[in-house]
Amino acid sequence: MTGAAIIGTGLVPFGKHLDRSLVDLAGEAAYLALKDAGIKPDRVGLGYFASASAAAFMGDMTVGQNVFWEVGISRIPIVNVENACTSGSTAAYLACRAVATGQAEVALVVGAEKMFVKTMGLLNSGANELDTLLGMVAPAGFAMRAARHMQEFGTTAEQLAMVSVKNRRHAAANPAAQYRKPVTLEEVLASPMIVDPLTKLQCCPIADGAAALVVTSAGAAKVDRRAVKVKSAVYCTGGYENPQDLVRWETDYRACRQAYEEAGLGPKDLSVVECHDAFTIAEILHYEALRLCETGQGGRMVQEGHTALGGRIPVNVSGGLLSRGHPIAATGLAQIYEIVAQLRGEAGPRQVSGARVGLAHCMGGDKAADSKSCTVVVMAN
Amino acid sequence: MTNGESCNGAPGEGDFPPIVPGLFRLPEGGESEPSLLGGRCPECGGVYFPRPKYCPKCLGETAETALASRGSLYSYTVVRIKAPMGLPEPYGLGLVDLEESGLRVFGLLDPATLDLCRIGLPVRLTVAPMGTNVQGTPCLRPFFTPIPEPGEGASR
Repeated sequence: MTGAAIIGTGLVPFGKHLDRSLVDLAGEAAYLALKDAGIKPDRVGLGYFASASAAAFMGDMTVGQNVFWEVGISRIPIVNVENACTSGSTAAYLACRAVATGQAEVALVVGAEKMFVKTMGLLNSGANELDTLLGMVAPAGFAMRAARHMQEFGTTAEQLAMVSVKNRRHAAANPAAQYRKPVTLEEVLASPMIVDPLTKLQCCPIADGAAALVVTSAGAAKVDRRAVKVKSAVYCTGGYENPQDLVRWETDYRACRQAYEEAGLGPKDLSVVECHDAFTIAEILHYEALRLCETGQGGRMVQEGHTALGGRIPVNVSGGLLSRGHPIAATGLAQIYEIVAQLRGEAGPRQVSGARVGLAHCMGGDKAADSKSCTVVVMAN
Repeated sequence: MTNGESCNGAPGEGDFPPIVPGLFRLPEGGESEPSLLGGRCPECGGVYFPRPKYCPKCLGETAETALASRGSLYSYTVVRIKAPMGLPEPYGLGLVDLEESGLRVFGLLDPATLDLCRIGLPVRLTVAPMGTNVQGTPCLRPFFTPIPEPGEGASR
């Protein structure tokens, strides 16, 4: 296997884009990525378009083909990808595997979402799923994980809230983030309770947005000094074993372990991480699955500043889902966008100095007290 | 006891359908408590909840099996935003470790006793009208309620 590399990225800042269509947002991200890579549309041999809700909102299917035609790409294989919160990162995984195995020289990956629609409520796992009929909503699973983490390890409400404070502070330096104003610990804890113990400012907000990547084989990227190597791209689905341990999240640990093994690296090799902070407790759990610290020590880790910019292993220096917002299918690609910027030394005031190895981690879908998907991409310069 | 009465036989609650057919059964014979219905594989003996059509290990066609009605609260939360499907506001959700099978099942919690919730709380299954179903019709839902300490009243 020759491996893959990322030679172009594009991002439409996350926020309210009420007057713009999904195809328009996605098309802009694609345009920016192609320009960044310095390539013309006819060099793209393979395409992936990710959107969790495009078909529902547009009353159409095969939306990816519309998006690619916005930037003059047609005729080639274009795959429409839906995988809940990992729609974008799953599309990236597919592209990396495809170019690494020689299916195409250049792949374009685009993810986009519009979420400011009247009927948007809390996400659930499907109207006819048993758990949904019994009242399950997306934050509740994470809230139950928080309760166990607090019970088993003494993690405090303050430590959870510190994740939001840290990520908002990081977002002040990220023009692509929706929420850039700092928040205090008191404000986070005093915001309305959504699902005990998670308050509103501990839950990622919705957003409109789009992001895109140009992926090539590592060989073709050799001449590009801004190319970022993909050391591993992993996608695992849930195990759904019963009983599920809400703290030692087997699917999470498994995907992270596999990513390190395939990259031939370990947690100590990482310079910077983007992980799926849909809720504050999620980031704490992901520190542990990524083995940035021992199981149970994630609360202490954020409290002691190890994951802040300037700390031992900065996490979510982009501001994360908590500050960017979470346009579902764009998120996974926005995480990779950030890691690429870091590894190119182009992250400006957010730059982690001397960044050599970065990791983007994402999860999505709820089933049987487990996640349905987990993706991890490890990159290096 | 008809399908429409609550499990302690209170009259006058009308004829409510279960939220999902085959999810639970009301007390039978000498039982005093309802049971969730899981699936048991006749080939390998695996027990699952919710009941799958095919055993995930060996594809045997599962048979319905009544699970223990009692267990212990492994974790829980209280949902405080606008409740879907006419559920109470707030409402409780939890994962319960059932006796016998050891299955960790997701379920609603008794809205009247949310303040008693704690990890490790002994709970038992009960069934009553709660909220509406996909068609918008009031229906029966199973939920877990605390088991009274010895010395308290045996029924609530």
